Amino acid sequence: MKFEKKRAASKQEIPTSSMPDIIFMLLLFFMVATTMKEFDVLVTYKLPEAEAIEKIENKRLVSYVWVGNDERIQINDNLVDMKEIGEIMYARRVAIPNVIVSFRVDKGSDMGIVLDIQQELRKVDARRINYSTLLKQ
Amino acid sequence: MALMKKKKERETKIPDAGMSDIVFLLLLFFLVSTTIDVDTGIGLTLPEYQENIENTVPLSADRLAALLVNENGDVLLNKKVIAIPQIKETLKLRIREKIDLPKNKKLVVSVKTDRKTNYNLYIQALDQVKGAYFETREEYAMSTYGAELNDLDADVQDDIRKNKIPMIISIAEPEKI
Repeated sequence: MKFEKKRAASKQEIPTSSMPDIIFMLLLFFMVATTMKEFDVLVTYKLPEAEAIEKIENKRLVSYVWVGNDERIQINDNLVDMKEIGEIMYARRVAIPNVIVSFRVDKGSDMGIVLDIQQELRKVDARRINYSTLLKQ
Repeated sequence: MALMKKKKERETKIPDAGMSDIVFLLLLFFLVSTTIDVDTGIGLTLPEYQENIENTVPLSADRLAALLVNENGDVLLNKKVIAIPQIKETLKLRIREKIDLPKNKKLVVSVKTDRKTNYNLYIQALDQVKGAYFETREEYAMSTYGAELNDLDADVQDDIRKNKIPMIISIAEPEKI
């Protein structure tokens, strides 16, 4: 006896014509949400954790200062000396008057280096700062 | 009689079968290169630079909450030794009793550390101070308006943030070595 598979009379294709639209939508989401990695971080650091933290809403205003676990300081793409910070940050502040300086400091650091950087920032009147922290789980 | 040329109907179609492949490729690129990291942290405004501190007027004692974190991790709040997790509750009491006072009588929290203090400890202390303000604001919003702070009208929120419970955190002048 010969068996024959029953087939539905209707078309059996999944319509894929709108797939590009859906993928475009995903693509657009990622394009909008993306911030390209801007810096090569040359120091190693572990951020501290805190609970009462806020988001920095406007990323364009942010200028980063890294302090590694070996007390090296990095601004932009370069390792810098304590004496150079004032000059660099002055230029930043002139370019962006309400610049926010974000401290990405290793949690094992001493406050001495942080205080020194803060004094330099105060001297050039770049006084909005943010200690970068992770959310305590 | 005008002669109409009969248009030949030709099927014109751009092949779009490969479009989804191209778009997938783009999507993958963005997926890989994306870092969705929000910058989170504790915001502060540093005090203005003062050439010589002698010219400044000291704050009255009832406005000031002087917080000192020394290099051993001990915390002094107004010269009394407390532990870091106690800072929040202690400050909340003092912030709360100043809610209805005018703006120039609000609490000022001054945070000071030694040069050898661990950065993480300082952040923990600062976190407690911030937390005290945030929680007091929430409690005030709940008890006065019966809603969470973020659900209130923008101008009411502003009033609480700026006039009722303003966050005044000062970083004390570091000692000269």
